[in-house]
Amino acid sequence: GCKPQQEVTTLRLAHSLDQEHVVHKAMVLMGERLFEYSSGTMQLQIYSGGQLGNERELIELLQIGSLAMTKVSASSVESFVPKMRVFSVPYIFNDNAHLWRVLNGEVGHQLLRELRGVRLYGLGYYDAGSRSFYTTNTEIHTPSDLRGKKFRVLASQTAVRMVEAMGGAATPIDWGELYTALQQGVVDGAENNPPSFYLSRHYELSKYYTLDEHTSVPDVLILSHLVWQGLTVQQQQWLSQAAEDSIRYQREAWQLSSDEALAAVEAAGVRVIYPDKQPFRDAVAPFHQSLEQTDIGPLLERIAQAADTAEVNHD
Amino acid sequence: MEMAIVVLLAVFFILLLFNVPISFCIGLATLATMLISIDFIPAVTTMAQRMASGINSFALLAIPFFVLSGLIMGRGGIAKRLIECAMALVGMLPGGLALVNVVSCMFFGAISGSAVAATSAIGSFMLPEMKKQGYDVNYSAAVTAAAATTGMLIPPSNILIVYAIASGGVSIAALFIAGYLPGFLLGLSLMIVCAGYAKLKGYPVGARLPLKLVVQKVAAAIPSLFMIILVIGGIVSGVFTATEAGAIAVVYSLALAVGIYREVKVSELAAILMKSAETTSIVLALIATSSAMSWILSYEQIPQTISAAMLTLSDNPLLILLMINLILLLVGAFMDMTPAVLIFTPIFLPVAVELGMSPLHFGIMMVLNLSIGLVSPPVGSVLFVSCAIAKTRLEAILRPLLPLYLAMFAVLMLVTYVPAISEWLPTQFGLLSADK
Amino acid sequence: MTKLLQTVDSLLKWFLASLMAGIVLVVCWQVVSRYVLNAPSSVTEELSRALLIWIGMAGAAFAYRTGVHLGLDIITRKLPEKMQRKVSMLLTAAVVLFAIAVMVVGGGNLVTMTYELGQMSAALNIKMAYIYMILPLSGVLIAFYGLCQLYFLASGKAVPAVEGMH
Ligand code: NA
Ligand code: NA
Repeated sequence: GCKPQQEVTTLRLAHSLDQEHVVHKAMVLMGERLFEYSSGTMQLQIYSGGQLGNERELIELLQIGSLAMTKVSASSVESFVPKMRVFSVPYIFNDNAHLWRVLNGEVGHQLLRELRGVRLYGLGYYDAGSRSFYTTNTEIHTPSDLRGKKFRVLASQTAVRMVEAMGGAATPIDWGELYTALQQGVVDGAENNPPSFYLSRHYELSKYYTLDEHTSVPDVLILSHLVWQGLTVQQQQWLSQAAEDSIRYQREAWQLSSDEALAAVEAAGVRVIYPDKQPFRDAVAPFHQSLEQTDIGPLLERIAQAADTAEVNHD
Repeated sequence: MEMAIVVLLAVFFILLLFNVPISFCIGLATLATMLISIDFIPAVTTMAQRMASGINSFALLAIPFFVLSGLIMGRGGIAKRLIECAMALVGMLPGGLALVNVVSCMFFGAISGSAVAATSAIGSFMLPEMKKQGYDVNYSAAVTAAAATTGMLIPPSNILIVYAIASGGVSIAALFIAGYLPGFLLGLSLMIVCAGYAKLKGYPVGARLPLKLVVQKVAAAIPSLFMIILVIGGIVSGVFTATEAGAIAVVYSLALAVGIYREVKVSELAAILMKSAETTSIVLALIATSSAMSWILSYEQIPQTISAAMLTLSDNPLLILLMINLILLLVGAFMDMTPAVLIFTPIFLPVAVELGMSPLHFGIMMVLNLSIGLVSPPVGSVLFVSCAIAKTRLEAILRPLLPLYLAMFAVLMLVTYVPAISEWLPTQFGLLSADK
Repeated sequence: MTKLLQTVDSLLKWFLASLMAGIVLVVCWQVVSRYVLNAPSSVTEELSRALLIWIGMAGAAFAYRTGVHLGLDIITRKLPEKMQRKVSMLLTAAVVLFAIAVMVVGGGNLVTMTYELGQMSAALNIKMAYIYMILPLSGVLIAFYGLCQLYFLASGKAVPAVEGMH
């Protein structure tokens, strides 16, 4: 037969996480909702596990226009929008509520808008929890325990300076090569959120996990600006709605998977340490001061103000 | 998607048959395939990005280092000492010089990362020697080519590094240690064939050297063989990464060749650097364009389609592994090892893992399989180099290669169906975790 | 023509030798900074990867020039000589086309884009455009060598070999 085929718009979405990850599941949900809202005229094709490139390269592919969407850590966006490095500054949020007030508020929106200057369109933020140190054979209770130890950090100047501010030595190593680096003692430890610590199996080698929760770097859901502009207003609305549904689902699922991950690593024999965070905050105070006069100084100030709008939190 | 596969294969094979350099065959086939579903400017820009990101890897850095140290050792009298050591050890057995050739290639493979380096370093010494003693030159060239492939499995090995990257995180240290047993097994099987062939042809047997001389020859090779402890020991014990070990290997081989053996002059270093950059670039150019090809395959979701099709074809692991092996042997006939690993790992590894094979075991099987490809016509870098050194034609050395192919295939089957050959040693060193 | 070709050869050879020496020094420095100084350098990893991209791309042009790219020779060898030359010219043109389309246009677009949008490298903190710059440069070199080969093929002369290699 020759029924008139209805035009289907396929958006290709690539990311670097494995299919077990809650973020991937949230994306699958986004695809289902998009299909539903558009009555089958729009669909997502998801490429997992970094098969189309690492996060930096995926962002570049959006700029080039050969890929429609990606999800990357805000720290990967730093190279494109320098102000995004504000999230790599340690201890700027009092708690999770503070973080989300900022992300859903004016600061979060402003940072997403900045993406348009570099051919990107920010759809929103996924929760990526808080990052903490894990080590192979030293217990970390205070910043002085970091002295003389080597830590793998993200390839970000801010991340390097954070570890140095606390007294450790920072070395950027590719995430894929970190398991071997920990095994071989090339580094003494690394830092990440509980689900990544668990899913990467780094807990097999790292017997201590110190929940100092120094940074909360969110994930960002990004679209190629070229692709966004090519959509009709109706299609943009369907996509925004589907993204919003996906984000809401991911935030709930994240907390659950984070708790499960923590329980699982403890069950596997990892000692989880809950340190007093104040000495860590004190250690990075000079680092905070050094940022006051930079382009992210005003952002840091507005983030600090957002803390006051809620009741005081004791931790 | 079917269209993509047809275009890709058609462009690749037409250009290949007309003698276009392989990296350009891969590049042009990729470009043609990309243009089916992506506009021109984004397509060429994406391709440029994939080429650069294909070689933007710290682990790959080990390759220029092992090429460079291999070159320095080839020129610096190190190959000569290794051959004399092998001669003292196995020269008196039936098939004398052929066995010496195999053992020398294994020794050289144990300190160098590339089979081409082993072929040229050992071949240029051994082929004239074998000719003098009445060995058929085509047979000698065949033995050198086959034996040089043992160095792909015996660490350090550039191709195992490429596999570590393609597989997305199998540890290089574990792969290196895993390569020893299959590499030795391969060498042993070749030696058995050589000994049999020598009996048949009545090739001369070398004189048994007095013990004192044996000790002397072995001692002379010790500084060269110490490199194994330095490089592999360093990687396994975690003192440095494979890449750093490569840099250390360069420094050590320089010290040995320039300082101790005094067979390389400082003034020759520039030429050695240029030569190593050239050799490295051939590998890197292949990695660059095959990464782009691998990307477009993923983009068109071809790996998933093939894996799914294979798993519906049969649920017998023995049969599917045999099928994968036969396909890879065919691939290896036409394609160099590096692009084959980069392009086919994403396609077959998920199938193998689904069948319960570990990514480490699969890697060793794949590299051994494609090693046969290095010496199988029509495209085989080791075959080409060996013919060039022997000044003979490709067709002429295929006949003496036949029994050697059979030996290699037998080892391939053993390695495929006996996981312990690949996994026992890394397990002993504690390098094999639950699923890596 | 021959003179120009040899000048380019010589420049490229020395450029590659310096990059190789550079990359060995950078990685050795990484080992020293980690183990001897116990202060791992945060830039050596990225710097050495950038150098590797430069070696790979510049070296691809050099390897194309010296003709050692692995190739197969089944069909062309069997053709009559005049036909062989025509086929060679056609295939050289295909290589030039690849170099111009992918490396010069694609690579050039990548450089312009990353330069204008200001993407910075994570550790060295330099524009990514400088790292990608080698793509169009190498594309120009390959196209140049291809065109030289076309010129020599058309005029029926042998292409001069690279001095000091093979
Ligand atoms: Na080797
Ligand atoms: Na072959």
